[in-house]
Amino acid sequence: MKTRTFLVAAGALAALTSGLFISPVQARTWTSVDGKPLQAIFLGIEGDNYKFKLQTGNEILVPKDKFIKADQEAAERLAKIGDDSYTKASARQIDTLLATNLKKNGFNSFNAPLPDDLFVRRVYLDIAGRIPTREEFLAFAESSRPDKREALIDELLLSPGFASHLFNYFADMYRLHASDFQNGVRMDPYIEWWREQLEANRPYHEIVTEMLTAKGNVGHNPAAGFLLRDTGMEFDAFANFGQVMIGIDISCAQCHDHPFDEWTQGDFYEMAAFFGNTQRSLGYRPADSMMAGGVIEMPNAPAGWKNNFEKWAETNKGIVPRDQNSNQFRFFVSALGWNLADNEALQTVFPHDFIGDGGKPNEVANPRTLIGDAAKVGGKTRREAITQWLTAPENPRFALVIANRMWGRAFGQAIVEPVNDFSDEQIKRSSQPEVLAHLMREMRRVNYDLREFMRILYNTRAYQSVASAEEPDLTKAYYFPGPVLRRMRAEQAWDSMMVLAHGSEIDQKKGGDGSFYKKILNIDFNTATNDDVWRHYEMWQNLRGGGSAMAMVSEGDDYNPVLVTDNELRASELPQPAPGASMLDTFGQSDRRITDDHNYDGSVPQVLALMNGTVTQQLTGISSKVVSDLEELDGPDDKVRGVFFTLLNRFPSKEELDLGVGMIEDFGDEGISDLAWALMNSPEFLYIQ
Amino acid sequence: MHIAELAGKDPFSRRYFMEMTAKLSFGLSLSVPFLPRNFKAQEGGKAKNLIYIYLAGGMTHLDTFDPKKNSDVMGPTEMLDTNVDNMKFGSHLKELAKVADKLAVINSMMSTNGAHEQGEYIMRTGYEKRATIVHPTIGPWAETLLGKRGEILPDSVLVGQSTSNAGFMDPSLSPLPIADPTGGVPNTNLIVEGERFDRRMQMAQKLGQQFTEKFKYTGPKSYVEYYNQANRLLKSDALSAFDISSEPNRAEYGENRLGQGCLLARKLIENGVRVVEVVAGGWDMHQDIAGGTSDRLPELDVALSTLIKDLESRGLLDSTLIALGTEFGRTPDINMNAGRDHYPAAYSCVLAGGGIKGGTVYGETDGMGKKVKANPVKPEDFLATIGYGLGMNLEETVYSPTQRPFTFADKGVPVTALFG
Repeated sequence: MKTRTFLVAAGALAALTSGLFISPVQARTWTSVDGKPLQAIFLGIEGDNYKFKLQTGNEILVPKDKFIKADQEAAERLAKIGDDSYTKASARQIDTLLATNLKKNGFNSFNAPLPDDLFVRRVYLDIAGRIPTREEFLAFAESSRPDKREALIDELLLSPGFASHLFNYFADMYRLHASDFQNGVRMDPYIEWWREQLEANRPYHEIVTEMLTAKGNVGHNPAAGFLLRDTGMEFDAFANFGQVMIGIDISCAQCHDHPFDEWTQGDFYEMAAFFGNTQRSLGYRPADSMMAGGVIEMPNAPAGWKNNFEKWAETNKGIVPRDQNSNQFRFFVSALGWNLADNEALQTVFPHDFIGDGGKPNEVANPRTLIGDAAKVGGKTRREAITQWLTAPENPRFALVIANRMWGRAFGQAIVEPVNDFSDEQIKRSSQPEVLAHLMREMRRVNYDLREFMRILYNTRAYQSVASAEEPDLTKAYYFPGPVLRRMRAEQAWDSMMVLAHGSEIDQKKGGDGSFYKKILNIDFNTATNDDVWRHYEMWQNLRGGGSAMAMVSEGDDYNPVLVTDNELRASELPQPAPGASMLDTFGQSDRRITDDHNYDGSVPQVLALMNGTVTQQLTGISSKVVSDLEELDGPDDKVRGVFFTLLNRFPSKEELDLGVGMIEDFGDEGISDLAWALMNSPEFLYIQ
Repeated sequence: MHIAELAGKDPFSRRYFMEMTAKLSFGLSLSVPFLPRNFKAQEGGKAKNLIYIYLAGGMTHLDTFDPKKNSDVMGPTEMLDTNVDNMKFGSHLKELAKVADKLAVINSMMSTNGAHEQGEYIMRTGYEKRATIVHPTIGPWAETLLGKRGEILPDSVLVGQSTSNAGFMDPSLSPLPIADPTGGVPNTNLIVEGERFDRRMQMAQKLGQQFTEKFKYTGPKSYVEYYNQANRLLKSDALSAFDISSEPNRAEYGENRLGQGCLLARKLIENGVRVVEVVAGGWDMHQDIAGGTSDRLPELDVALSTLIKDLESRGLLDSTLIALGTEFGRTPDINMNAGRDHYPAAYSCVLAGGGIKGGTVYGETDGMGKKVKANPVKPEDFLATIGYGLGMNLEETVYSPTQRPFTFADKGVPVTALFG
């Protein structure tokens, strides 16, 4: 058994953290109407009073109307999202570390500060996942509030767009796919569960814990979807766990010792054994399954239930087993048995051709972690044990992985890449080990509250810098003088088009929620009669007859699902993933088969879609919202500015203004439509600078 | 997702773009793949074109090209004689049995990948899937090793999938994806025509200039190039090569995605495309093998046999290699859901045309179709065989942007015995 370097790295990170100078928390200065300052942390609103914490530690109440209007506005904001003094102290700390590192490596400092117009476009795209409307753009541009930047960041973090955009990220990372690729069972309840977790801003470690320890089916416990996702492909499920939760790709150790890292084939099976008695389905076991042994019964039903029900259906309902016409019945029963359980009789065994250390071919592999302190099972289920090990304070990797990923979301590049497979050595050799250590600490301090964590990053000077003009050289360290230029995600491009077509109301529109699937799968086998279960089978049949495979299902009456056919919704509300050859697919949305598979490259089909597609026609035609909304503006100058505000969210240059005005003078509304088309078809539209 | 190189008539502009890209990208050694080469075709390389039919999900070997007398493993499928004495097919393949003399069947395929993703990956790239790099499929490799062929039309097209990529090679080498074989290239009808269209394009170019000059990144510049390519494509008549609506033998191929995909492949090859991959799903028959095979096998039977006859009648069979691949076979034991599960230890692939010696059975499994008894062929060997057939230099090293060296089909060894 090899000794792992992980604890060493953990120790190194801890040492880095403890040696740091921590920026002091500077409480905000509040100003009374008669000009007196009060330096205090804002705690909340109580009746007509604001509650503060003074530096002495005392808490006081002060009537609202004692404060100037700007502070009252700030109080309203902070009441919803929390005081930002800690946030800002943490952001300052990051900036200090980055600035020091930049200097040390021969760079002056950060890129130039981001101008207001670029700021508003970027934060809308980064936080809310779409471009701002012309009204939203102008509201910010014309605001004279001194705290308008942090106010906008906070507003967007609290907006539905934040959860929607974050959902798209996790949908890619966790490969959220509506179909299970097998029997027509759908993952919609699990996908809806993800939406709910993010809308409620649930701490990330709680989301993970619930997924890893879930029992049951997606009908009564949607979080079970994470492990049910890979039914019949336990290896893939385990490798996926490694990639998304500990940032290590151990998949090659399945067949042989890892060529570049220290993982052995034995390690793989011993760690996989934590999921070795996880039963996913009824009886289905592929040839290459790593599980062996055990009697597979319907996990949540009395023994023998399945056979009894099938016989009953044969006698009473004319079901002919193995007949083609009974396929759906079999799929239905199999769907009911598609259920996450811990079955002590199941074991992980080493493969028949196993030659490594730690075990013999076909021998049972006992659970042991690859890295850090061993997870201990005693009294807990194996999955509880691995989950506790994963999220324990002694295991830096879990917080580090998600913090590094969130950094990548804000800056367009993570500190260590690829985010799903990096070694401890890479952490040490990265450009910013101190920043990483700080981020890991902060992720824990905010208790895995991703909204608060992102709030820290968006408040850094580094983030609020113009994007680097040169593409970072991937063979060299990047010191983050600012974010890198990024192409929009497919979902950002789509959601921006949706906002151009429908305005900001699009954020409120909901798609299917999978509740009908929940109903179908929700059966209490101890009380349900065979007739009751048959009713659920009829619901299943109604659903299949009701719509295409990609239609979304929302609430319906007891028997009949309501299908959502509206596809003009934000990407997060559409079927997951969007169908092939759709706009989202064309722009690189992951097909959700492997983790983090979004593609940012351009293509001829993409530009053809932008040039000639129905969406473009709808967005830039003479009767489009984009063009007709400009009717309220007088004069070609304002109209040209209006088109720029709407599509690119910036002021046109003198040249651009002249070009546009010329178009309107020569061609009238047709010229506006041409201008809108041209802006949508200039690369700038697709980029976040 | 990417697009094939739809480069224009002016080679200078393409070279200029490539050099520009080379300067901006990170160490991508363009000198190897892009410089004109004096390439000596290998001995086997008679084929000029490739149609690679990929059956996603895992084609059952026992019910198709490796049937057994042992009825325990055969389930509902029976053994069928073909027009070649020692070749037997599954009973669904009635039409293919009549052209067996054109086919070389490999019954000794072996893979170590029992999962779809990994299995398909190596069958289409010749490399084990890694988390650190994406390997190119055959199209980008062929264009790199054999040089660019088309001017307006892409060198490679992927039928049946809406996205494609060129792996670590330049995105411009990506096969052009055509999701629906009957749909043509999507979004090629202009919203506005003539002068107004040109005006819009010019304006877009002018308005984009400031941005693309400000940011020295490959991304925005590649978009400029994609716009140029799209513009050229729209103005050419090459698009008709993608339109099979008026092909007289549409019905003969079968009114399904595989059949129509094969028809489109034939038309594209005829118009100068070098590599067409046709991907068709529905082969993952965990449930009800009887139902699955009676749905899929007649489609395959009709599509492939028609394709062979059609190419032959047009004098294209000798210059066009047809390959039929899949990620693995399916278990000889029929499971409790009356289906067959994944079985990478033994499976079948097929080659035809393009210098292949027809009527050949290569390799052999045991009496149950469980173990390869002779002449094992690994996925990378199968791809190497395709590369050999196309005259690709299997020794030639191409470097990734991170300077990792790669050769086509990894260390695969071509099965030269299949060529006559």
